[in-house]
Amino acid sequence: MNLLKKLFDWIEVRVGASELVEKQLTGYLLPRNINAWYSLGSVLLFIFVLQVVTGILLLIYYVPDAEKAYSSVSHIMNNVPYGWMIRMFHAVGSNMMVLVLLLHMISVLFMGSYKKPRELNWLTGFMLLTLVQGISLTGYLLPWSQLSFWATTVATNSANAIPVIGPHLVEFLRGGKLVGAHTLGRFFALHVAVIPVAIAGLIGAHLFFLKRTGVSTPPFGQKETGNQWQGDSYRHEDHPGGIPFFPNFMLEDLRSISIYLALFFAVVFFNPYLFFPSSAFVPANPYVTPAHIKPEWYFLANYQILKIFPNELIGLAVQGAAMTFLALLPFIDRGKEKHPLKRPLFLACTVIGLLVWLALTVWGHYS
Amino acid sequence: MLAWFFSGAFLIGVVLFQPIPAVSAETTDTVCYECHGNMPGTLGEPVKLWRSSIHAENGISCHSCHGGDSKDMANAMSRDRGFLGVPKEKDIPAFCGRCHVGVLKDFKASAHGRALGKGGPTCVSCHGNHHVLKASLELINEKSCSRCHSYDRAKVIKTAMQDTEKLIVDIEGRIAAYKKIGADIDRLEKGLFAVRNHFHSLFHNVDVEKVKKEASQIQSDLKKLEETLAKMDRTQQRRKIAGVVTVAVALLAALLFHLLGKTFKHEKDV
Amino acid sequence: MENNSRRTFLGLCLGGLAVGAAASATYPLYRYLAPRQADTNAGKVVIPEKDVPLGEAKFFEFAGAAAVLVRTTKGELIALSAVCTHLGCIVQWEKDKQSFLCPCHAGYYTAEGTVISGPPPRPLPKLPVSVADGSITIG
Repeated sequence: MNLLKKLFDWIEVRVGASELVEKQLTGYLLPRNINAWYSLGSVLLFIFVLQVVTGILLLIYYVPDAEKAYSSVSHIMNNVPYGWMIRMFHAVGSNMMVLVLLLHMISVLFMGSYKKPRELNWLTGFMLLTLVQGISLTGYLLPWSQLSFWATTVATNSANAIPVIGPHLVEFLRGGKLVGAHTLGRFFALHVAVIPVAIAGLIGAHLFFLKRTGVSTPPFGQKETGNQWQGDSYRHEDHPGGIPFFPNFMLEDLRSISIYLALFFAVVFFNPYLFFPSSAFVPANPYVTPAHIKPEWYFLANYQILKIFPNELIGLAVQGAAMTFLALLPFIDRGKEKHPLKRPLFLACTVIGLLVWLALTVWGHYS
Repeated sequence: MLAWFFSGAFLIGVVLFQPIPAVSAETTDTVCYECHGNMPGTLGEPVKLWRSSIHAENGISCHSCHGGDSKDMANAMSRDRGFLGVPKEKDIPAFCGRCHVGVLKDFKASAHGRALGKGGPTCVSCHGNHHVLKASLELINEKSCSRCHSYDRAKVIKTAMQDTEKLIVDIEGRIAAYKKIGADIDRLEKGLFAVRNHFHSLFHNVDVEKVKKEASQIQSDLKKLEETLAKMDRTQQRRKIAGVVTVAVALLAALLFHLLGKTFKHEKDV
Repeated sequence: MENNSRRTFLGLCLGGLAVGAAASATYPLYRYLAPRQADTNAGKVVIPEKDVPLGEAKFFEFAGAAAVLVRTTKGELIALSAVCTHLGCIVQWEKDKQSFLCPCHAGYYTAEGTVISGPPPRPLPKLPVSVADGSITIG
C-alpha cells in the first residue's frame, strides 16, 4: 500500500496529475440545470469509437474486390465465429449514430445553444452530420449486394441533374460510366481512410470549441433566458457553484450510454434485419434491378423531394437551399432569446420543419 | 473553412436520390416476342402463357426449347439455324427430355410412357405447354387423371407421397426464411433441390410399390436437412438469449449509474 | 456516512459488472481473431481399391455432401463432388460414354468434371485423392 502511494507520488511530482484532475474533472463545473440531453455528445463519441473498433475488426476479413466483397461479407456473417455480431454492431451502429446525431442537433436547436458565440460549434457539428451521411453512404456499397449496388447507382445518378458538369460528375463519382469495381475502390478508400480521419479531426475541433466557449446554460428553469454574450472580448462561460463534471455529470453520461447500449443490443440481438431488406442478401447483379430500391431511412426525405418535383434540378436546389439554411442558422437567427416557448416563430418553424421531414420520410418509405 | 463547409453541403446536394428506370427483368431477350407478343390467337398466346411460367422465372426463353436464332429477326425461324416449331405429339417427351433427361427415362419406362402414341398422355397433358408451373402434387387430381382412367390408383400414389411432399414444402419455407436474412443456405438449397427432384421423378414411374420403397430413403435425406435447420434454429435462439442478457446488463448498469449519481446530487443540494 | 457506504456498494456492483462485461466482450473477440482450425482431417474417406474397377464410378458421402470416385479407362483415379453446379442435383455416371450426366437439366461433364454441355456454370470441384496399400484416401 505504502509502495503504491510512493509510486503515485513519484508520478505526481513529475506530471502534476492532480492539478489536471482538479482543473478538468472535479473542478470543471457545469450549469446546475444541465439536463440529460447534454450527454448525447458523449453517447455519439462512444458510438464513433465502437464504429472504429468494429470497422477495424471487419477489415480483417473483408475483401474490397467486386468479385469477392459479397462472399467475404457472407463469410463474416456465416463462418467466422461471432462475425455476425461484429458486422451487425457496425451496420446497426451506423444507423444509430445518425439517429443520435439528429437527436443531438434537435436538442441544440430547441435550447438555442447554437447562438453566438457558438456558431463554430454548430458549423463543425453540421459538417460532422454531412460526413456521417457520407460515411454511411460509402459504407453502404461495400457489401456489394443488390441493395448496395442499386442504392449507389440511384444515389450517384442524381448528380446528373446538375447543369453542364452533371454527367461528368456522375462518372467521376463512380470512377466509370456505371457503378462497378472502380466505384468500390474509391468508396472503400473514402469509407475506411478519408472520412473517418476527417470525422476524428472535426470531433477534435468540435470539442475544442466546446472547451473554449464553455458549456451553454440550458434555458429551462431560469428566470433570465436571454443570451448574455456581448461579443466585445473572448470570455469563457463559467458556471460558479455548478455541478462538477466528475463524478456527477460523468455518471449521467455513463447512464445515457448504458441506456443507449440497451437499445442498441435489443436491435442487434432481436431484429437487426430492421435495417436490412432481403435485397441486402443477394449478390450485386448489374443486369437485374430489384423491384423496390430505396435509400436508407435517413435519406428517404431527400429521395421523396426529388420525386415530388417535376424537375430534378429544382429538387436538388430545394435540398441544397434547405441544407445551407440549416448550416447557416446561427448567422440567420440572431435573436437573444433562448427559451423555445418564448420564441413562438422559431418553435413553430422547427416543429413544422421536423413534421415535414418526418412526413416526407414516411411518404418516401411507402411510395 | 466556410468554403470547405459549402463543398460539404454541395456534396450532400449531389448525393441525392431519384428513381431510375428499371432494367427489364427479361435478361434473356429474344426477338421472338417482338412479333409474337402482339399476334392474336395461337401465335400470340404462348408468349402470354410463358411469361408467368417457371421457365420464364428461370430465364428459359423461347429459343431454349424452339431453337432458331433469337438475335436475328429475319432468320429467327430458319430451320437452318435449328428452329423447331410445334413438336408432333409422339415427339413431345423427347422435346422436353432434351433438358429433363432423368424424367424422360422414368416416363418412358412407365405405363404412361409405354402408351405414347396409343392415346397415352405426354408431358403437356399434365404440365401444360407454355404455362409450365413448378411441379407439385396438385398436378395429380381427379379432374386431370379421370380424363383417361379412374382416379383410384393415382389417389393411392398421391396419398403415399403426401407426407413427404408436406415435409419438402415445409423445409422449403424454412430455407426461404433463412435466405431472406442472409444465412448461408447454399448447400441446404441444393440438397433440397436434389431430393425434391428425386422425389418428383419418382412419380413418373407411376408404380405405387416403388414410390413407397424409395420414400423411406427420401425421408431420411430430408431428415438430414431438417437437422441442419434445427441447428440453425438453435443458434438463432441462443442469440436471442444473449440479447436478453446483454440488454438486462445494460439496463442494470444504467440503474446503478443513476443511483450512484444520486448519492452525489444529495451532497451538493444541502 | 450513509452516502459513503452506499457509494462503496454501488461502486463494487458497477466494478463487478464492468469486469463481467469486459470478460464477455473478450471471449467473442478472441474467437473472432483466433486462427481457424482446418477440419480437413475429419472429412477423410477411405475406399478399398478393388471397389472401383476400371471405367467404373463409386458414389459416397464426403463432408456432408455427395461425392464420386472414378477410375477412367486409362486407369486414372479422380474424385469429384457429385453435386451438379447448376442447381444441385446429384450427377450420374454414364459408363458407356465415360462422362457424368445430371438428370435434372441435362448437364454433361467429362470424367475430370469439366462441363461438356448443358446449363452448369462451373466444373465439378475436385477432391484430393491418394492411394496407399490397396486403399484410396479422399480428402
